[in-house]
Amino acid sequence: MDFDFTQDQVMLRDLSREFLSRESAPRAVRSLMDDPRGFNDATWQQMAEMGLQGVAVDSTYGGQGLGMVEQALVLDEMGRAAYPGPYFASTVLAAGAIAASGQPALMERYLPDMAAGRTKATLALIESALSWAPSGVGLRASRSADGYTLSGVKRFVPFANVADYILVVARTSDSSEDGTTVFVVPAGASGVSQTANVEMDRTNRTSTVRFDAVRVGADAVIGEVDQGWRIVGAVLHRAAVAASAEMLGASRRCMEMSVEYAKVRQQFGQPIGMFQAIKHACAEMLLEVENSHAATYYAAWALDAGAADAPLAASAAKAYVGDASRKVCGSAIQVHGGIGFTWDYDLHLYFKRAKHYEPLYGDADFHRERALELTLARMEQPAEAVLA
Amino acid sequence: MDLNYSAEDERFRLKVRQWIDQHPPGELSTVQAKKDWQRTLYDAGFVGMGWPREYGGQDARPMEQAMVAEEMARGDVPGAINSLALGLIGPTLIVHGTDEQKQRYVKRMLTAEDIWCQLYSEPDSGSDLASIKTRAVLEAFEDGEAWVINGQKVWTSLGPIADYGVLLARTNPNVPKHQGISYFIVDMHQPGVEVRPLKQITGSSEFAEVFFTNARVPAENIIGQEGQGWELAQTTLGFERGGSLLARVTRHQTNMRRLVEVAHGLSRDSVPILEDAVARQKLGRMVVEVEVLRYAGFRILSKLEQGKRPGAESSIDKLYYSELDKRHQEYMQDLLGPYGQLERGLPEELALNSSTLRGDDATWAYNFLWSRAGTIYAGSSEIQKNIIGERVLRLPREMRADRAGSGQREG
Repeated sequence: MDFDFTQDQVMLRDLSREFLSRESAPRAVRSLMDDPRGFNDATWQQMAEMGLQGVAVDSTYGGQGLGMVEQALVLDEMGRAAYPGPYFASTVLAAGAIAASGQPALMERYLPDMAAGRTKATLALIESALSWAPSGVGLRASRSADGYTLSGVKRFVPFANVADYILVVARTSDSSEDGTTVFVVPAGASGVSQTANVEMDRTNRTSTVRFDAVRVGADAVIGEVDQGWRIVGAVLHRAAVAASAEMLGASRRCMEMSVEYAKVRQQFGQPIGMFQAIKHACAEMLLEVENSHAATYYAAWALDAGAADAPLAASAAKAYVGDASRKVCGSAIQVHGGIGFTWDYDLHLYFKRAKHYEPLYGDADFHRERALELTLARMEQPAEAVLA
Repeated sequence: MDLNYSAEDERFRLKVRQWIDQHPPGELSTVQAKKDWQRTLYDAGFVGMGWPREYGGQDARPMEQAMVAEEMARGDVPGAINSLALGLIGPTLIVHGTDEQKQRYVKRMLTAEDIWCQLYSEPDSGSDLASIKTRAVLEAFEDGEAWVINGQKVWTSLGPIADYGVLLARTNPNVPKHQGISYFIVDMHQPGVEVRPLKQITGSSEFAEVFFTNARVPAENIIGQEGQGWELAQTTLGFERGGSLLARVTRHQTNMRRLVEVAHGLSRDSVPILEDAVARQKLGRMVVEVEVLRYAGFRILSKLEQGKRPGAESSIDKLYYSELDKRHQEYMQDLLGPYGQLERGLPEELALNSSTLRGDDATWAYNFLWSRAGTIYAGSSEIQKNIIGERVLRLPREMRADRAGSGQREG
C-alpha cells in the first residue's frame, strides 16, 4: 500500500511544472488568447522532445510506455498552468483511441508521429444530443464501393482547427446495441468544413465540424465496424480521469493564489485571511483539493492496475472533482473580491480552464448516476464476490 | 504508487474474517458482557495491536490494525468498550507517564479490567477548552500531598461505567490560560465524584456530566509536569483524529447496502425510489463521496505504513467524514420519508438491522440524530477549519480577546 509517487513520477511532475511555468506562464497564455491556432509550435516541439505527447504511448511506437498515473501527472500540471494547445485532444483522445484499437498496423502508422509531435489529431464524438452513449451518435457512415461516405455534424471538437487528423465516431448500423464505427479522416479531406467557436476558456479551442459526403477508404476504420464503442468507451474512461487531473491542477492553482492573496490583502487593518469567513473558505478549498487528488490518482492507478473498481473510480473522480473544482475555483474569485473579477488578474484563466472540463466526458450528474449503477450491479453479486 | 494489498495482507485479512465469523459476540446487554467481549478480542490479538509489546500490544503494522477495524465493521461486530483508553489515554500514558503509572494502569486498559473516561469539556469551555475552570489545588494531608479537585465536567463518554479518568484541571490561575493547566489520573470511585448521565437528543446517554467536590488526586497521579496539561491534551487529540477511515467506509457501505435493500420497497409520490432521478442522484452522491473517503483512507494508511504521523492534515479528514456523515444521514432521511424518523413501529422489512458502535441496536433515526454529534466533538468543524487555515495553510491567526499578540503566526 503506497499512495506516494515514485521518484520517476516526481521527476516527471517537476520537469513538467518547471517547463510549463516558463512556457505557459500567464503572459504566454494571454499572448495566445486571440491567436487563431491557439497554441505555440515551439512549445509543442519541446514538449515532444521531453516525451510528453508520448507519455502513455507504447514504447514500441515511440512513446514512453508509461501509465495513466503519469498521464494524469502531466495533465495536472497543464491544468495548473492552463497550457493552451491540443495536448488533451491529440494525446488523451486521438492517440488513446488508436491505442485502444489494439491494431498494430494502425498504431505503427499513426502513433510514432503523434508521440513525436509531428502530427496532431482529435476526436469528433458528440453531436447535438450531447450524449456520451452510442445512441447519441447520428453522423452516418454509409458503405460505398471502395469505402465509406460520412455525413453529419459533430460539435465541440477540440482543436479541430489545428488537427491533421480527425477521428470520427459514426453510425454504421441501426440494428446492434452499438452500431458505431470509428474512422480516421484527414482534416483537409474534401467535404470537411469547420466553424470555430470562441470558448470562454480561451486556452481550449473547439469547432463545429461538418462532414458533407466525405469519402474515406476501408482502411480508415479504427477497430471493428459496428463495434466502435469498444474504443470510445475506453477513451471516455481515460478522458474522465484525464479531465479530473486537469480540473485538479487548475483547482490547486486557484487555491494557492487565494491563500497567498488572503495573507497580503489588508482590509479593516488586517490581512483578510485572519477573518474566519475567509480562512474557513480557504480550509474548505484545501479539503476539496486534497480529496480531488486522492480521487484522481486512485482512479488513474486503478486504470493502470486493471483493478475491478476502475470504472467506479473513474466516475467517482469525475463526479467529485467536477463539483470540487467548481467550488474551489468559485471560492477563489470570492476570496479575491473585485480583483478576481478583472480580466487583467490571472485567476480567471484557471477558473475557466477547470470549467471547460466540467461538462465534458460526462458531467457530475452523469457520473453519479454511473457510479450508482455500478454499485447497484455490484450489490447484486453474491456477497463473497463483492468482498473479494 | 501501488494500492494493492500484499498477499501477506490478504492472508491476514482472511484470518481475521474467519475468526470473526466463528466468534459471534451474542447479546452484549450488560457492562460485564461488554468487558468480557473486549477480553475475548484482546486474547484473539485484536485490541491494542499498535501498542508496544512491552505494554501488552503487538507493535502491529497500521495495515493490520486497519484490516481488523474494517473486518469488525464488516461483520457489524461491536468494538472494544474501553475505546478512549485504547485510542488516546493509553498511548498518552505510554509516552508521557511515569514507569509506575505505566505498570499500574496500561495493561489493564487492554483487558478492560479498568474502564477509562476523559474529563475535558466543561459547560463554559467547549471549543475554547483552554479556558477550563475546574481547579486542582495541592494540599498536605496525613497520608501525603494530594490535589483537591473542584468543578464540573461535561460530555464525558463512558462516565457512568468508568473506573478512572484523565482530567484537565487548572493548577495555576495566574499565568496565561494554556500554561496553567495540568493533567491528572483520577479514581472515579471516590467521595466527591458524582457522575450523572446526560440525556442527549437521541434520547440515549452516551455522555455524562461529572461533578467534583473536594475530590482528591494523590500527588503522584499527575501526568507529566505541572502546567504541561494543555500540551499533553493536544497530543491525545492528535491520536483521536488519527482514527481509522477505512472502517468508517465499511460502515457506510454496509448502511448503504441496507438502504438500497430497503429502497426496493419504497416509493415517493407513487414513484419507486430507485426509479426516481432525484433520489438516484442522492444515492449516487453518497456512493461517490464514500468512494473518495476510501481513497483518502488509502492515502492515510500509506502514510502510516511509512511511519509518518499525520499532523494537522488529519483535521481535513475529520472535517470531511463528519460533515459527510451528516449529509448522508439527511439523504437517507429524504429517501426513507416518514419511516426514517421512527424509533418504534418501523416495519421489519425497513429496519436498519445494524448496531451502534456500542453494540446496541441502531435505527435510521438514531444514526441521523447521532450524526449531529460528529461535527461538534473532538474539535468542531469550525475549529478544524481554523486548524487547517492556520497550521496547514499558514494563514495569520485571528484576533482573540483572550490572547495578547494575536495576528502573529505561531509554530
